[in-house]
Formats: sequence, structure tokens, C-alpha cells
Amino acid sequence: MAPKRKNVEVEEEEVEAQDEEDEEEELAFSRNYFLAKEVGSSSGKRSAARKVSEINLVDEQLLRASLSEIPAKHEKEIGSLLESYKGLYSNWLFELRCGFGLLMYGFGSKKTLLEDFASSTLISYTVVVINGYLTSVNLKQVMTTIAEILWEHYKCKGKTSKKQHTQLPSGSKSIDEIITFIDDISDDCNCSVCLLIHDIDGPALRDPDSQQHLARVSCCSCICLVASIDHVNAPLLWDKKMVHTQFKWSCHHVPTFVPYKIEGLFNPLILSSSGHVQTTKTALVVLQSLTPNAQSVFRVLAEFQLANEKEEGMHVSELYNKCREQFLVSSQVTLNAHLTEFKDHKLVKMRRHSDGQDCLHIPLPSNALEKLLQDLA
Amino acid sequence: MAKHQSSPEGASSQGANSPDANQTLEPFFVLHKAQPQATVGEKLSRSGKGRERGSKSSPKSPGKFKRTPSDEQSSGTLYEQWRLKAFNETWSKIESSIEGVLRDINLKLFNEVLQWVEESFSEIKSNVKLSSSEIQQPYPLVNDTLCRKIPTAFVLTKNAEFVDDIKTFCDLGMHLKSNRCHVANMSTLDFSIKYRVGGSIRSLLRQLHSEPLDIADVLTLAKWYCEGENYVKPIVVMIDDMERCNPDVLGNFITMLSEWVMKIPIFFIMGVATTVEAPRNLLPSNALQHLDPCMLTLGTPSDRMNALVESVLVRLCYNFSLGHKVTLFLRNYFLRHDGTITSFISALKLACSKHFSLESVSFLCLYLLDKDYELIFFSSLYNYLNIQCLFEVARYSKMQFLDIFCEATDPEMYSMSCSDSTSKKPIKCGAKNSSEMLSSGVGSIARAIHTIREMPVTALSNLLNTWNIHTEKMTEINGEVKKLQSLVTTNEGKVYDENLPNIRKRTISLLSGKGNSPNEKVAMLLDAMIRKYMKPTECMALHEIICFRDVDVLRSGLIGDSRKTIQLDLLKCQSYLSCSCCSSDAMSLSPSMHDTSIMYKLAQEYGDVINLYEWYQSFKNVLTSASQTPKKKRHLSPASKKAKTLPPSAIEALIQARFCEAVTELQITGLLRMPSKRRPDFVQRIAFGL
Repeated sequence: MAPKRKNVEVEEEEVEAQDEEDEEEELAFSRNYFLAKEVGSSSGKRSAARKVSEINLVDEQLLRASLSEIPAKHEKEIGSLLESYKGLYSNWLFELRCGFGLLMYGFGSKKTLLEDFASSTLISYTVVVINGYLTSVNLKQVMTTIAEILWEHYKCKGKTSKKQHTQLPSGSKSIDEIITFIDDISDDCNCSVCLLIHDIDGPALRDPDSQQHLARVSCCSCICLVASIDHVNAPLLWDKKMVHTQFKWSCHHVPTFVPYKIEGLFNPLILSSSGHVQTTKTALVVLQSLTPNAQSVFRVLAEFQLANEKEEGMHVSELYNKCREQFLVSSQVTLNAHLTEFKDHKLVKMRRHSDGQDCLHIPLPSNALEKLLQDLA
Repeated sequence: MAKHQSSPEGASSQGANSPDANQTLEPFFVLHKAQPQATVGEKLSRSGKGRERGSKSSPKSPGKFKRTPSDEQSSGTLYEQWRLKAFNETWSKIESSIEGVLRDINLKLFNEVLQWVEESFSEIKSNVKLSSSEIQQPYPLVNDTLCRKIPTAFVLTKNAEFVDDIKTFCDLGMHLKSNRCHVANMSTLDFSIKYRVGGSIRSLLRQLHSEPLDIADVLTLAKWYCEGENYVKPIVVMIDDMERCNPDVLGNFITMLSEWVMKIPIFFIMGVATTVEAPRNLLPSNALQHLDPCMLTLGTPSDRMNALVESVLVRLCYNFSLGHKVTLFLRNYFLRHDGTITSFISALKLACSKHFSLESVSFLCLYLLDKDYELIFFSSLYNYLNIQCLFEVARYSKMQFLDIFCEATDPEMYSMSCSDSTSKKPIKCGAKNSSEMLSSGVGSIARAIHTIREMPVTALSNLLNTWNIHTEKMTEINGEVKKLQSLVTTNEGKVYDENLPNIRKRTISLLSGKGNSPNEKVAMLLDAMIRKYMKPTECMALHEIICFRDVDVLRSGLIGDSRKTIQLDLLKCQSYLSCSCCSSDAMSLSPSMHDTSIMYKLAQEYGDVINLYEWYQSFKNVLTSASQTPKKKRHLSPASKKAKTLPPSAIEALIQARFCEAVTELQITGLLRMPSKRRPDFVQRIAFGL
């Protein structure tokens, strides 16, 4: 009942808070939090938690094939939702011209929407698109491309320009130097580049360095930024300086409900059984390369684990005794040699038992382990 | 793009055989190039047209855009141009005024710093005289720690957020540069562990040297310092927030430069956000001993805010003003959000751009001549002068100008005082003193009036002097002020004659005279001025031209609360899609709903971990429930009709695929964490509550 008591305390504290709206929100939050903890712990402790393997999982190939056959829902409504955003395009352009960066958020893939906006409204800009959802994004290459685009314009105008010594930085220059170059020539360039970043919070751009580089480049006078975020914690990527003096975000809530097909293309499927299959296969390969004695030691451990599923693992001394009885090992040293081999290949893990002693455990679910033993035989 | 319009999911469902597939899987690509010759006007008209035609192939066939635009469109783009022009003119005026105000408020400190630099520099120059060849030699080493001290000014910024100080330090740098100093403005990034002290020296040289250098060391710096005119100026190194620098790198930097201090006169100016103790706690002792500290203090953010309100918000001469709700929102944003001037300014800019972008008549302000302006907003001048008088009182009692301004823009307050003025009831407050007033929630203006009643005579006479200047253009009031001035002066004389030491006593004695005391009369005058002249911009005719009132637009543009809204999107997807097939009840589930939305609603029933098996089963139940209820059969999509003909294994596979896709989408939005190896059967919920 402790959490409930805590909950009451929190409630009491918050009654004193001045802002009623905030108070209500926070109260709901804490209530939900404690409720979640309560339910979570009870379901966690429930011994008979259902396993994913109990679902009649289909073959991964079939699963992947079915992915492309998922019926589209609300096509018409999504279409009219996107159509309704077209009316805002001119306002977005206005804000870009005022010097703001556009930050689009809301549920649904915003790729189509933003590219449509760029290709229909940003005609006077050169638009460079970064697919931030891909891990292969290399910001230096992007900056080099932008520098080249600007350089082309600069060269055309360059004869009258004062900065005759300026040169396009070579590939060996660092990204900082390329950004400095872009900043230097952007005042003399009559060309505007719009950097359109899908998922500025994507896996390849999530690190502070990349965000600093993007923030720096967004300050250049000839560059404007249109970006989308999908992750709930994305705003944590930026500090006050970046938000207010560099990116200068103007946020727009544009839920599209378009499926994240491309953004999620490289995410593993949660119901694909390939994870266990893969480990069982590799375990089999490793075990087959070991001596028959070593295989038998593994089998002793596996059989123990299958027979005592609730146990946290098998004590080393217990394993030694069993193996000695079956003439698999002659001394603790030989057993240790086998165990080191297992541990190196991650077939076995050492764990601290609740009674304080070290115990051994095979990190595979029972059904996978059974299959492994069958294959090994 | 036509494809995108007809089928919004077209692009996202592009498979490998689609022509755009390469682009979606390229890390980056150039979507199209700009039309080179486009002038601003052309650019806009093109963009207007482009919007209608919307074609991805447009860059390849620019000829498509050479049609004559329709009249409607061209007038539309003309309005856009006007609005943009209006915004640019207005904002550049406001911005330069803000810059001026902030520079002025810091000018005292800047001059203090400059004086300190000049004095220390002349002292060094008079003591040490070295030839240029001696300067460029690293030897002899200076071992005497007493001689190896770098003059350092620690500027206490009194600011938890460093973002305001970046601007202040930039201005300080400019000020010093224009007064014969070499200035290097270094940030915390220059003292990172990644590039070590070499990075710091390189950054220092890059700022001093006009051309990029290959080698960066102190010898290069010495060589540069001996070149031409450089020798006659001191080098000032500014670090805006020293507490966020890596202490070891900064320590090394200080130690390294201290060895050269007799040859290259370097001065440090370091911003300290917390306390005087911070440098001692942060820097290693061997670096600390090489600093010769001096403490300076910056003005507080609320001082700066007062100056901003006084010179920017109150004035209507910028063709832009704020409605009451927007002012209130900005005040709360400043006080509760982060208390930085920078965020306040960026909020103001966004408000300004939203005003010109959304208000159709806003561009008219461009064509208002001063004469028209006076005619239309005649009362605004008096209103402005009135508020200035109030600010003078606030200055005395250390009240926030923004609070008073908020109240002054309240249309309700205005209508109340209008109705009151017929009954001639003074603005009253039940409380006796100011602290009581604060707790009883009395308005700022009422408090200001009450302050006058408690004012000592000298302060009162000072106040009337300032009012005299402010009310010069309001002849009627000015006469009253002058009368009161003479009354107070005679009273003041009396008081001094009587030689009463206790001010408090004096005030009480004055108060006892009720309506006859000068304090009471001044208070009555202010009260009358407020009633007569204070008129919020919102209550004036044609205020739409200059007044921005849409607080919701500003709030959503400024605080994109993505964490909350993404969850709301999922929980209330019907309100966005407004479809007929799903129930409008927020908590009910129907198979026609968006898959991810169903999943997220189901997830609400779990704790911080969700059992995948149970989640899948309930998802499956929701999807298959439709086929069991005959009424809903009509709403089935063609796809689910098709599903009936599929073998059971294929149906199962489809449901599993939908489950997988929804989980992936929730993972992308960050609302879910994938199963760990320890708990393969559970996913973790991240966000609880809105």
C-alpha cells in the first residue's frame, strides 16, 4: 500500500500549488505513474507471465510479405487532412522568409507533406533533403554538397566580389571548416538553400556534435531549415542557445497519420522469431566445433536448466560433481577450461545466485534450448 | 506530386520499384535547384503558382511556370509582399531598439571593463619593455609566480541561463574592439576535452588572425603580436560561461599563456553564472595562482526586462502592439519558462511574424502616415505617457514593469474603470500595506497608487519632477502636476523646518490629513489620469492593424509540446481524421481505427511494462470483433472483405504484420522501448500521463 500513501502525500503537496491547470496535469501524471508502478510490479511478479512464443508466430518471410499487404485505413480522410495543410504553405513560407526555421511535429510520417511543400512552394530555394531516419547519413557530405551549390553561385558573381582568395574547401577539410566557408560566402551569395531534414531526431543525427553542426549551419544567412521530429523527447536535443538564437524554431503541429513505412524500414519486427533462431544456430555451430566432452558438459547444464526452469542457475560445484560422476571431467581445472570456452562464445553466463554463490545459466529460452539439444544429438 | 495529392500514402509506400525509391533510401539528395534569375517578386509569384500545380518534376522543366498568373493569385502574392515588407520594417525597428536598450543598460559595465583593461595594460607597458625579437623567444622562462599573473575580470552574470550572456559578451567584445583592443570571444566549445588545449589556442588564433593558419601555438601568437600595429593593443580573451568549460583544458590554457604574460599582454574576461566561489571550486590550484582576479557584476534580467518593456512594448510607434492575453502569456513565459531575455525576444519576434502573416489588414500599417496614425490612435500617445508615469512609481517601489503593463492592457479593467468613472469611485484596495496587498492579490496598478500614499516627501517631489517631463504634451495634467509640485515643495520646506527625523511619522501625519495631504492628492491625480487616458490598444478602433491578439497561435508556435501532442494525436485520432467509421468516444475501440491508435489505447491499461502476448491478443480481439457483430459488417473496408477469402494462416500473418508495424511506429515516436534480453516478453512504456 506504500505507493498509495505516497500518492496521497503528493496529492496533498500539490493542492497548494498555485496554477490549477498545471496542478491537475501533474496530479494525473503522478497518479498514472504510481498506478503504472503498481500494475507493473504485480504483472512482473506474476510467475505465469505469458510468453511471446505462445503466440502462433508465422514464418518471418510470410510476415514480411504480409507487411506490404496491410490494408490502408482512412485513405480519404488522410488525403483531405494533407490537403488542408496546403492552405498553410504560404504562411510557412512567410515564416521562413522572416528568418524562422520550421519544426513540424505530430503523429504520422511527414515526409510526403514536407516534400510536397518544398517542391510546390519553395521554388526559389535550392532544396537539399536529408533523410535523417537512415543511419548512413554523413553530415560532412551534406555540408560539402551545400558548399558546392553555393560556390557555383558565388563563382558566377565572384568577379565583382572582394574575397578573391576564397576557395572551395577540399574533402580533407574538417566539417567545421566547411561550415565556416559556407558562413563566409553566404552573405555574398544570392542563392537560398533550404535544408529539409526528415527526422532531425533520427538515429544518425541524434548526437550533440551533429546537432551543433546543424545549428551552426542554420545560422548562415542564405540557409533556412525545415525539419520534422517524431520522437517525444526530441526537444531535449537542444539547449536555449540553439533553440532561440540558432535554429529559431517556429513549431507547427501537423499530424498526418500516414504510416511510417520508410522510417521504420530498418527497425526489427517485434514478432519475428529470427532472434532466437539466429542464436540457436550460432550456438549449434560453436558447440559442434567443441570436443564431445565439452558438448556433454554443456548438455548436463542444459538438462539441469530445462528440469529446473524456476531456478536462477546451476552452481558451479554442482555441475562439477555431476560431470565428475559421468567421467566428463577429471578436475576443476578442466571444467574451468570448458566453461571459459562457453563464456567466450556467450553460450553460458555467470550469475550471482540469491544465496550468494555464483551460478551458471544458458541465456536461451527453454524451447530454443530443447531444439538445440535435439540438433546437437 | 500529383500522385501525392491523390494518394497521400503514395510516397511512403513506395516500394523498391518506385522511381523515388532511390531518393527515400539516399542519405541526402538535392530535391530541386533554385530558379537563378528570380527576383523576390517573381519568386513569390512562382511559389504561389507552384503551390497550385505542385510538381516534383518542376526543376527539370522550369518552362511549366511561365504561364501568366491569374489576377487573384497575383494580388495574393502582392499582399504577401506587402506583409513581408511590413514585417521586415517593423521588426528591424524593434530589433534595433532592443539592441540599443540592452547596450545602454550594459554600457556602465562595459566602460568599467575598458577602464580596467586600459589601466592594467599601461601598467604592464610601463614596467616591461621588450624588443620584438625578445618577445618571439620562449626563453628565458618566467618562473616567478608573482610575475606570471594574468589580469582576469570575473563578470558575475546572476543568470542561471547563459544564453542572455552570449549577447552581452558579444556586445562587450565589440565595445572593446572599437576601443583599441584585440578581442577573442571564446565559447565553452573551445575548451572541450575532445580538442584539448591545442583546440583552444587554434580557436584563439583563428579569431585574431585574419587568415587561416596551419600551425597553432603560442609562438605563432607571439609572432603575430609583433607584426605591425598589433603591438600597441592589449589582447582580451573572453569566455562567456567559464563554469561549463572543461576545467583541465581551461587550466592548461591559463598556465600556458601565463608563461608569456610579460611578452604578450593578455587579459581574461570570464562570465561566472553562480557565485564568487565558482572559479576557485572549478579551476585547479596551479592555474588559479596565475590569475589576478577582479570582480564585476552584470545587471539582473528583471532590470533588463523593465528597460525592454519601457522602450519597446509600451510604444506604439513600431506599428505593432500586443493584446492583453498575449502580453499575459509573454509575461508568464518569461517568469515561469526560463527568465531569459533571449527567449522573450524570440517570442516577440514570432508574435510579430504571426501578426503579419495571419492578420489580413496588418500590412496597412505601412501606409499609415504619422498624421493618420495620430488621428486613429490619438489616445495611444496619452496612454503611453500615462503608463510612463506609472512606471516612475513602479521604479520607486521596485515593481515589475511587465506586471503593470499587463494590467494596463486589460480591456476588462478598462471597461470597469470606465463604469467606475461615472460613479467617481477611486481605485481602492482593502489592504493596508503593500505586503498585505501582494498576498491578497490586489492589482499592480492599485498597489502603485497605494505606494504614492506612503511615499516620503523627497521621493514624491522627485516623482512629480519626472511626471512633469512626461506630461509635457498633456497640458491639462501638466498644470495639475505643476500645482502639486509647488505644494510639495512648500510642504517639504515645512518638514525640514520642523526638523522631523522620522519619515514614517511624517507620512502618517500627512496621511491623517486625508484628502488634503500632498500624497493623497498625487494619488488622486494618478487615479484620475488612469481613468481618463489609459486605454488599451485593443479597445481602440482599427486596432486590428497593429495589435496581435491570437495567443493560441503564439503558444503552439513557441512551445511545441511534442511529448503531449503526439500522445493526444494517438488517443484522439478521430478528431483529426473526422471519419464516419470510428466512434467519436475517445476511449472506445473499433477495428476501423488507426492500428497504432488502437495499440496505444490498449497500452494505457498496462503498467510500465506491457506483456507482448496479452497485448497481441487484445489487439487481435479488437480487429476480429467486427466480424462477430453483424451490424458493423457494412463498415468493413474492402481489404477486410478480401481478408475473408484468405486462408486462416494468411489472416493471422496479416494481423501479426499489423501488430509489428504499430509497435514499430510507437517505437519511432519514442513511446515504447523494445524488449530487453532480460525480459524478452515485455516492452516498456516510456510516457505516462499527458
